[in-house]
Amino acid sequence: MSRASSSFRRRWPLARWAVPLVLLLMLLPFLWLLQMSFKPTPLILAFPPRFFFVPTLEHYIGLWNSGFADSFVNSLVTASVSTLLALLLGVPAAYALSRWSGRGRFGLGLGILLTRMAPPIAFTIPFFLAYRWAGLLDTRSGLILIYMTFNLPLVIWMMQPFFDAVPASLEEAALMDGAGFPTVFLEIVMPMATAGIAATAILCFLYAWNDFFFALILTRTDARTAPVAVVNFMNYEGWEWGKIAAGGSLVMAPVLAFSMLVRRYLVSGLTAGAVK
Amino acid sequence: MAAASYEGQRRRFVRAAIAPSIVFLLLVAGLPTLFLLVTSLTPGALVNPGSLSDFSNPLLNYKLLPGDDRFVGSLLVQARLSVYTVVLQVLLGTALALLVHSGQERWQSLRHLFVIPMVLPPIVVAVIWKLIYTPDISPVYQAARVLGFALPALTTHVDFALWSIVIADTWEWAPFTFLMVLAALQNLPAEHVEAARMDGADAWRVFGHIVLPYIGPVLLVCTLFRLIDSIKAFPLIFLLTGGGPGSVTEVTNYYAYIVAFNNGELGYSSAITVVLLAATVLISWVAMRSSRNAGGE
Repeated sequence: MSRASSSFRRRWPLARWAVPLVLLLMLLPFLWLLQMSFKPTPLILAFPPRFFFVPTLEHYIGLWNSGFADSFVNSLVTASVSTLLALLLGVPAAYALSRWSGRGRFGLGLGILLTRMAPPIAFTIPFFLAYRWAGLLDTRSGLILIYMTFNLPLVIWMMQPFFDAVPASLEEAALMDGAGFPTVFLEIVMPMATAGIAATAILCFLYAWNDFFFALILTRTDARTAPVAVVNFMNYEGWEWGKIAAGGSLVMAPVLAFSMLVRRYLVSGLTAGAVK
Repeated sequence: MAAASYEGQRRRFVRAAIAPSIVFLLLVAGLPTLFLLVTSLTPGALVNPGSLSDFSNPLLNYKLLPGDDRFVGSLLVQARLSVYTVVLQVLLGTALALLVHSGQERWQSLRHLFVIPMVLPPIVVAVIWKLIYTPDISPVYQAARVLGFALPALTTHVDFALWSIVIADTWEWAPFTFLMVLAALQNLPAEHVEAARMDGADAWRVFGHIVLPYIGPVLLVCTLFRLIDSIKAFPLIFLLTGGGPGSVTEVTNYYAYIVAFNNGELGYSSAITVVLLAATVLISWVAMRSSRNAGGE
């Protein structure tokens, strides 16, 4: 490091620890929720707060027995199925666009950006009216369909660079040998893009999993997802902070695990449509 | 002959691969947008079944908008919220990135943990801040009591409610700028910085003359992206303030939600949403142009 910063460090020994200290300070609110989910109920309101206590799973068990499990399953099913469908439709499209489309990319990029950027309420009003008419309100299928509005563009956008990276010479050789295009795609190109497909799948899953707005409006009881269920603990069952904290922790657990796996792709996922 | 059939095969394959996606997108994104525009031309209300196909006075909703104090007020709240959060996030995110970048080597692996607030489900972020803003249970309020002063209830106070949202939103999204700027800093050509140091430039001048111009385009992209996303602010407001007290924190998006799903006035809400959508399209277009000019990543 430069002379200026090292003399600064000598004068302020704490500067050496600046990064972890700032990190800790920043994550405190998050850690607070986490510790609360393991705190025995009588201690939650204790003042001054107790930092050392015997952790308990009572809130998680209580939560699971109160119907939260159904919402959790709804979240899992809607996020997984919409991811799967988006991949099924979007991966071939991304491949075709990566190989053979010079024109149309700007338009496509803009279209994808718009679906990603549009305020969710813009889709919610028409979908609400259509679902009310078609009887799709409060169904998993309804949620899956609306999650496709953001997951399909995401797949098409995310997958193109991965296909760009697969050398075209391999396909050409196979085509020369008389293999058909679908065969080449399925047996040569796809296996080389599995890492990309996995990363894209995880991002899609996270987007759908994190949704609150669509589920809030388009579901009531049967298809209610976990994020909406957590909020319901605030509205109807009094203020059961232990359960709220446990619910919040359960909703964020898969997100934390998965997002560490795809951290390299977070930037391109978040800026889909605008940044190459 | 062989070439022609190859061409034909290729074209058929490309069509089969792309068509389903395009048809589907038109169906789930294009059609609803059109439907939204049509609905905005009706006085459509849930309590009045025929009203969704009543086009007798198509521009009525749009004529009502400028005279609707709550709508105009929501635009102002939106503008304030957007400006405060975007400025704070870009500044704090950049500061964090500089801190981690210039910090010791052994902390480098910690950088992944800085993005946690951003990847958390938005509603969990709202729950976390609800916890902090609820006086009975919040560690912050408890600490204040120990120190002998009483904090006002931030989320229900006319003067502080918007700031309580701003603080939570900044916490959630400063990592976005952090991530983008850190990536840019890691690509910063080291020899430029070295050369400037050799010439006797101090840290501030290195930052002002070399680092800042280098990360400038990234900062612009961050600003625009966060600006667009700030229009969608919902879970924090929904859970922390409910748009109140009064309508102090009622942004346009939230107002559109209230009008549509509390009052059942879908036609009028559609008109509000169309205005929001137009603003989004405009900023998105600028964002795309500027990120292209900046050469992307």
